[in-house]
Amino acid sequence: MSTNNLFKATVLEYLEGLSQNVQSRLYESPAACLAIYRILPQLAKFLIMSMVFNHEDVLLRDLNKWVKEQGQFEFDEAIKTMSSLHILKEISKNPVQVNLNPIFKNSFRNSLTGGEVHDSFGIPVDDDGTITTESLDKYAADKWETILHFMVGTPGMKSPSETVLSLLLHSGLMLEEESDYELKITNEGFQFLLQEINVQIWSLLLQYLKMAESIQMDPVEVLNFIFMLGSLELGQSYSVKGLTETQKKLLKDMTDYGLIYQTTFNSLKFYPTRLAIILTSDSMTIRSASMAMNSVLKKAANYINYNDTAYNKNNTANTDADATNNLDKEDADAENNNGEEVDGNGSIVEGALIIETNFKLYSYSNSPLQIAILGLFVHLKTRFANMVAGQVTRESIRRALRNGITAEQIIAYLETHAHPQMVRLAENNLEKKLALDANCNETLEILPPTVVDQIKLWQLELDRITNYDGYLYSTFDTTEEYQQLVTYANDIGVLIWKSDRKKVFFIENEGNSQVVEYAKRLLSRKDSI
Amino acid sequence: MSEEIEKPNYRTRKSRNTVFSNLGNEHMSDDSPGTDDSDEDDNKQDQYVNEPVYKKPKTKSSSKSTSKNDQTEVTAHKLAEKDEDFLLEGNKDVPADFVPDVVSEVFKNNDFSYLKLRPDHETRPLWISPGDGRIILESFSPLAEQAQDFLVTIAEPVSRPSHIHEYRITAYSLYAAVSVGLETDDIISVLDRLSKIPVASSIINFIKSATISYGKVKLVIKHNKYFVESTQADILQMLLRDPIIGKLRIDTTNPVAGETPVATTIEKEAKAKNIDPNDVSAVFSSVVGEKTLLEEENDDDIDAVHSFEIANDSVEIVKKRCQEIDYPVLEEYDFRNDHRNPDLNIDLKPSTQIRPYQEKSLSKMFGNGRARSGIIVLPCGAGKTLVGITAACTIKKSVVVLCTSSVSVMQWRQQFLQWCTLQPENCAVFTSDNKEMFQGGSGLVVSTYSMVANTRNRSYDSQKVMDFLTGREWGFILLDEVHVVPAAMFRRVVSHIAAHAKLGLTATLVREDDKISDLNFLIGPKLYEANWMELSQKGHIANVQCAEVWCPMTAEFYHEYLRENARKRMLLYIMNPTKFQACQFLIQYHEKRGDKIIVFSDNVYALQEYALKLGKPFIYGSTPQQERMNILQNFQYNDKINTIFLSKVGDTSIDLPEATCLIQISSHYGSRRQEAQRLGRILRAKRRNDEGFNAFFYSLVSKDTQEMYYSTKRQAFLVDQGYAFKVITHLHGMENLSNLAYSTARERRELLQEVLLKNEEVAGIELGEDSENTVGNGVNRRLKRAGFVGSSKAVKGEGSLAGLAGGEDMAYMEYSSNKNKDLRDHHPLIRRMYYKNVKK
Repeated sequence: MSTNNLFKATVLEYLEGLSQNVQSRLYESPAACLAIYRILPQLAKFLIMSMVFNHEDVLLRDLNKWVKEQGQFEFDEAIKTMSSLHILKEISKNPVQVNLNPIFKNSFRNSLTGGEVHDSFGIPVDDDGTITTESLDKYAADKWETILHFMVGTPGMKSPSETVLSLLLHSGLMLEEESDYELKITNEGFQFLLQEINVQIWSLLLQYLKMAESIQMDPVEVLNFIFMLGSLELGQSYSVKGLTETQKKLLKDMTDYGLIYQTTFNSLKFYPTRLAIILTSDSMTIRSASMAMNSVLKKAANYINYNDTAYNKNNTANTDADATNNLDKEDADAENNNGEEVDGNGSIVEGALIIETNFKLYSYSNSPLQIAILGLFVHLKTRFANMVAGQVTRESIRRALRNGITAEQIIAYLETHAHPQMVRLAENNLEKKLALDANCNETLEILPPTVVDQIKLWQLELDRITNYDGYLYSTFDTTEEYQQLVTYANDIGVLIWKSDRKKVFFIENEGNSQVVEYAKRLLSRKDSI
Repeated sequence: MSEEIEKPNYRTRKSRNTVFSNLGNEHMSDDSPGTDDSDEDDNKQDQYVNEPVYKKPKTKSSSKSTSKNDQTEVTAHKLAEKDEDFLLEGNKDVPADFVPDVVSEVFKNNDFSYLKLRPDHETRPLWISPGDGRIILESFSPLAEQAQDFLVTIAEPVSRPSHIHEYRITAYSLYAAVSVGLETDDIISVLDRLSKIPVASSIINFIKSATISYGKVKLVIKHNKYFVESTQADILQMLLRDPIIGKLRIDTTNPVAGETPVATTIEKEAKAKNIDPNDVSAVFSSVVGEKTLLEEENDDDIDAVHSFEIANDSVEIVKKRCQEIDYPVLEEYDFRNDHRNPDLNIDLKPSTQIRPYQEKSLSKMFGNGRARSGIIVLPCGAGKTLVGITAACTIKKSVVVLCTSSVSVMQWRQQFLQWCTLQPENCAVFTSDNKEMFQGGSGLVVSTYSMVANTRNRSYDSQKVMDFLTGREWGFILLDEVHVVPAAMFRRVVSHIAAHAKLGLTATLVREDDKISDLNFLIGPKLYEANWMELSQKGHIANVQCAEVWCPMTAEFYHEYLRENARKRMLLYIMNPTKFQACQFLIQYHEKRGDKIIVFSDNVYALQEYALKLGKPFIYGSTPQQERMNILQNFQYNDKINTIFLSKVGDTSIDLPEATCLIQISSHYGSRRQEAQRLGRILRAKRRNDEGFNAFFYSLVSKDTQEMYYSTKRQAFLVDQGYAFKVITHLHGMENLSNLAYSTARERRELLQEVLLKNEEVAGIELGEDSENTVGNGVNRRLKRAGFVGSSKAVKGEGSLAGLAGGEDMAYMEYSSNKNKDLRDHHPLIRRMYYKNVKK
């Protein structure tokens, strides 16, 4: 899954950027080692496993023998990543011998064998069972949705806490409007909204880390804490004992993001939520933010819709293919969920949309967040239980464009969420075209081309103004003087604009010195007379 | 005076639906695609100050008036009121436990997510919006085809692109549904079965209120006696108890029939309706199938009918009284049993092919073996004429055909002779220079609206013909292009000519004013409206690629544009040199491809300038008839003449199947109808069935001018039919054209000077032969006459064309003998409609 890899890559990139000293301190925690191991590429995992219980140094050549020729690139990449993380150490050159970083090796071994883990996997405490996973999910969804809705600008939403706001500003996802101090979503923010939930969480956490460094928080403690969260168990409560002061402060911030739940502010135990669990999770059960929210919400409210009952009655033959039900199943295989495919019943994945040549848009969605995102660039009109109808208008697109969302982003969004029917029609059309002219280089046009063009044109409409840096000449004594200078500027081709009536003109930067020179000459001539 | 000229701004739907005020204007802006900009709206109106202000004539609605037409108006107003009532209660049944979520607010009153989905919603194709009666249909659902048949009967199609269609239930559409025989309960139960969500109570109440009393009482002429008919005995009872109507009843069978109003009862077993309610399609076909499809020829489906007779001279009183008690009568013509009016010897030729959609539209008209009055809407080029002819052949009584121009008069006559067995001597035309009538008891008369509705002094000859027309009873009146004719004209026509059944034909039931609703009641409800995209996919009309070409204004022109007044501005954006270049380029490009091109310009000055500069022939209002024919024939047969320029006169009447490409350089403000009519010029392209054939429609607009705004408005109708206008901002290779006009600044300046010197009048739009402008107010007699003079010559051309194509087939002679005697010789469709109930 590409997006899955994306977030891993960004996390690894961050870790690689840390100094070796910080890395070594990080590797002292078995939980961190395990978490890092989980986000490494497959081949790197394999290589680590081959060395972790090996006391001898290994010849790089020997390691290389494991891979076939076509895997060479992957191998090199894996080695490179491990080296820059300083997990892999070069012991001697010629022939190159390598071994794992002893600290990492030791911690990782401990984490695997359950040796001295120093509570790095958290200290479970007994629980009275009042906190169910459902209530945790609801809590997490509430928190996270509040943040996303705030970004979208849904009216009537309560604003998230100060720390979240400053993080959003700091990371450039939102921007403070100069005129009214309102926060507005940025281009990056819109991109952020369209990403999957764990990518979103990680990008926020990485921003958090950067911010933490600037206020002298120890990144190792922060990272340790985050990695620890990733290894905790949902529904289990953990003690705050053993956390450092920094980490206790973190605990509060993480509560704001919905990663952690605490019954009271000063409670001695905390519960990780699903958002925390998926941080380093390998199996991706959650596809996109809104879908995840939706499933979580539905589950939390114990929402039994007709859908479920129908399926229950009809036995379970097709249940796992239905999108919403799919997410209800905790152990749903990621493979079942990998795109907007139609199942045997013709049901479609939540969020699929149809846009027609008359610019009307219909989205099969009931998720408030999904609808709010659509509302950023669609004029929404009517809502039904499983569908919202609206229209893309010049105004709605311009509003989005003014908010920094680009036409390309809108088109990409529409394309990725296109209803299977639209894809089918596009495929049929392409087939027909190819049948007529096998050489035509048409591409698959999922969206009506007129709509795509129009959205782009609306964007072009907004940037018709060209900026020139230059100089404005004004307050001439006589028309003659003005005329002479204008003519000169025009002759040397630097005149951009003039107004004979007001006797002002504007020239390009480049020509200024020449015009000034000429003006001086004129003046001196006048003086001499 | 000329109320029929479109108002420049659109308020058609808005004016009727003021109830939506809380939703704001956005809801109504449905009409316009993408580029809706209300600020702009206001500006444009300001700029219109120079335009003459057309006032809507005051509609009489007093209950005193007794004429039939006023009654229909009263009904119209009542329906409009009903529309408004219903919409007020849109959101009444929100359950108490419904908690709006965070985004609900965005939708204001249009959040209907409280309506829970049905368990099997995926197999059902539609949603119904409780707020405004909008129906949203998934066209890819397995049930969609049946649903469409049903919806087109009970609702107005709003938009029908590729995937999701929208309809809207209105009081008018329900009235139409009722008049073709659907019952309130049927409508509700079918909607309920097709809907993914429960049908809201507001919709049910609305349907009930709009249908409960309308269409229940019918006035039928049988054996020259008038009968008041109803399927519901209690309604008839109620009528009989009425102090006025009760007295007028003629007792035929039972002298003491006070308690038993059923004088003549055709009792039949109504089909048992105990079908499994969960089986959607079975229920659907049981309810809709029997009503709308005429496949079965059995009589068993006819519900019990109760009726009583009234005297001929009390018809008007009964009608008026029924109107007053809110039970307006529907008029149906039982033509089979009309023995007073002589039959017309007319039948379709066996070689005539009726397409499925034509048959379907006719089945709505002849649903129960009688003729209903109404309007059939088919795209241009989809064979409206044949539908009209088939209807005439079904009724087999004397027919009057009215059309908009003398050219189409001759086309209609020629088509009649081509498709059916009518004898030429029975087929008369009534135009300004042809006033012969048919001899004998029955026949066909083709004329124009203006000839019939003219109230001014007539020549002796035409007065004689008018006396002939008004003096007799007609079985059937066919009204072509009904959308262009103002209501006042219809009123005159309908009151002058007594006809039992009325059929209106049109391609675009849209006007920029609110005259359409008048039509509903002057002629009858809309019986059928075809789906353009579907016909195009099936190859009945050509596939068209539409494009809007943006031509930037040159700096000099734009400079002047910003300074001039509205009229001059128009001239400037039409004469924009870039537009001229684009036109030149497109003509060259398409001529090379082998296309035949028509260039349309409403502005005569521009038409001449363009055509002369490019050395192409052109036709406008004052072109002499001989020259017109010459140009048109050359365009059809001469390889050298591949492009002609036409003014507004070419919008409708000229039929050129050779044309495959159309370029529009100036047009009538925001008229959606004109755009659709013009597109219609290339829909019947001869080559349409070639594999991968596309016709081309270009609309050239000057960028950043008012034209852009109008252009969007104009396209609204076609866009809703599923056409996509591709925007072309740059024509590749245009600047490399060798002899590109106005390529130097000097040429452009000269053109600008010339344009600026022109009188404002030049900017106007030609007052053409289009009845929209001329009919009824006597404007521009000269032009009209020119048209009429020419028309007789046009016949010669058209006639010979048909001859060449083998239209006057030999088969006609072979079948002409004793054609009416043997049932098997009838065209199968006629047999089904005409003889359906004969055997009983």
